[in-house]
Amino acid sequence: MYLGRWSDDTWVKVRIRKGERAMKRTFLLASLLILYFTVLGYGISMAGAPMDQIRETTDKIIAIVTDPALKGEQYKEQRRRLIRQVVDERFDWYEMAKRCLGRHWRKRTEEERAEFINLFEELLERTYLDRVEGYSGEKVLYLAEKVRGRHALVKVKILTKEGTEIPVIYRLKKNGERWMVYDIVIEGVSLVNNYRKQFSSILSRSSFQELLEKIRQKIKDKERQNEGGKGE
Amino acid sequence: MSKASLLWLLFTSLLLLVSAPAFSEENNNPDAGLVPSSLDLEQLTELRCGVKKSPEGIGITSSENGASGLGLQRLARKEEDEFEDIPLEPLEFDEEEEIPGIYDPLEPLNRFFFHFNDKLYFWVLKPVSQGYGKVVPKPVRTRVKNFFINLASPIRIVNCLLQGKFESACNELVRTIVNTTVGALGLEDVAREKLDIPPQHEDLGQTLGKLGLGPGIFINWPFFGPSSLRDSVGMLGDYFLDPINYLVPSTKENLAVKGYRTVNKTSLTIGEYEKFKKAALDPYVSMRDAYYQYRREQIKK
Repeated sequence: MYLGRWSDDTWVKVRIRKGERAMKRTFLLASLLILYFTVLGYGISMAGAPMDQIRETTDKIIAIVTDPALKGEQYKEQRRRLIRQVVDERFDWYEMAKRCLGRHWRKRTEEERAEFINLFEELLERTYLDRVEGYSGEKVLYLAEKVRGRHALVKVKILTKEGTEIPVIYRLKKNGERWMVYDIVIEGVSLVNNYRKQFSSILSRSSFQELLEKIRQKIKDKERQNEGGKGE
Repeated sequence: MSKASLLWLLFTSLLLLVSAPAFSEENNNPDAGLVPSSLDLEQLTELRCGVKKSPEGIGITSSENGASGLGLQRLARKEEDEFEDIPLEPLEFDEEEEIPGIYDPLEPLNRFFFHFNDKLYFWVLKPVSQGYGKVVPKPVRTRVKNFFINLASPIRIVNCLLQGKFESACNELVRTIVNTTVGALGLEDVAREKLDIPPQHEDLGQTLGKLGLGPGIFINWPFFGPSSLRDSVGMLGDYFLDPINYLVPSTKENLAVKGYRTVNKTSLTIGEYEKFKKAALDPYVSMRDAYYQYRREQIKK
């Protein structure tokens, strides 16, 4: 790993694998930085690295879904609660909801926004939980990160058992000491952009209240499906 | 007996022959390959085209250390080239920002066919694929899928060449040769598993996109699903590169083979469409946008 140029606008680029020449050129800087982090301690180095934080969250979730003590239908609720807790610590639902609504955001009152965020979070968490619960030994490769001020990208690749590679990019925003995810881009498809297109299409034909009702309905459907154990 | 049915017979008997262990062992050992382990495939890695990777693949870690070092190094090389292009923008939330999308003047018709395809999936394709999946074990279905992917390699080779990706074209050629011979007519993807050369997913729609052609309008075809004007033209062109259409020229048999290919493929991906639909508030718009974003990303590569 090599720490790249650090220019005026605090462009910090951490790049993986670089030519040997560059390695030598930055070796001194790198070792100084390592020393710096070692001296200043664990806490600060954690706060500085979006990739580390993504890795930490991913590892926690994998630990939960692969925990033999939590296996089985009877622990489903407990398992899901634990995952939600971990996810909530890493996801910026406010930012995500705001970006999904786009220009409709400003027109909404504080109460409407709060309700929207809650429902949207619920919908996404349910979807997300379904996927996470289906974990079957996929490997996560942490490939690269790019930081600029308060924003960052982390690129990972999920390697399935069949050997398929799924490229995933997390978009993060720094919130205090924590890097929070506000968008996930899977195989080039941004979740925020996808929902934004859907919301704007729905809102061009119906009211905001109807949109909220639609999300509520979707959540309810899902509850029913989960109880019934069977999708459509 | 026509040439097509003769070929079909040959294929199925070969498949049965090589898959016999899969039937008898009841999936106990799905990894048991067709390739004799005595064959030293490591020698074949020399066949890989393009830049020889440096021996040290540093900095990359996985949650588990199971992934092969070979794969990691390849990933690292690729990532380095690609990551540079991904914009961080928009940084701050910009409510007026117009996110790009695809023009859809045929929306009512497209929506109609979306529902048609949806019903087709739940009423016909899914039950048939599930039934088929119950009878035929997964390793066999994976091999059938591999066979069809390998068969379609002319499409990928030609489009790699048309896009000027000579290294990819060469790798795809190596894949085809290795998989057709060592991999028993493509039933085993030896090239990916042992040589670490994955298929290069290129088609004429992407080639046209690379040439600067936009998607035009969104078209949701019955049976085929989401596409665009550009990608539909591409599909038509790729038709002439697909060996199936020469091996099985009669319309009826051609449709039967392609129908079988679809059922086999669906049997391996059951549940994915359902998950997609569960997450969407307007599945049609979600699919249209996902198609647009996905193709845009593929063309960028």
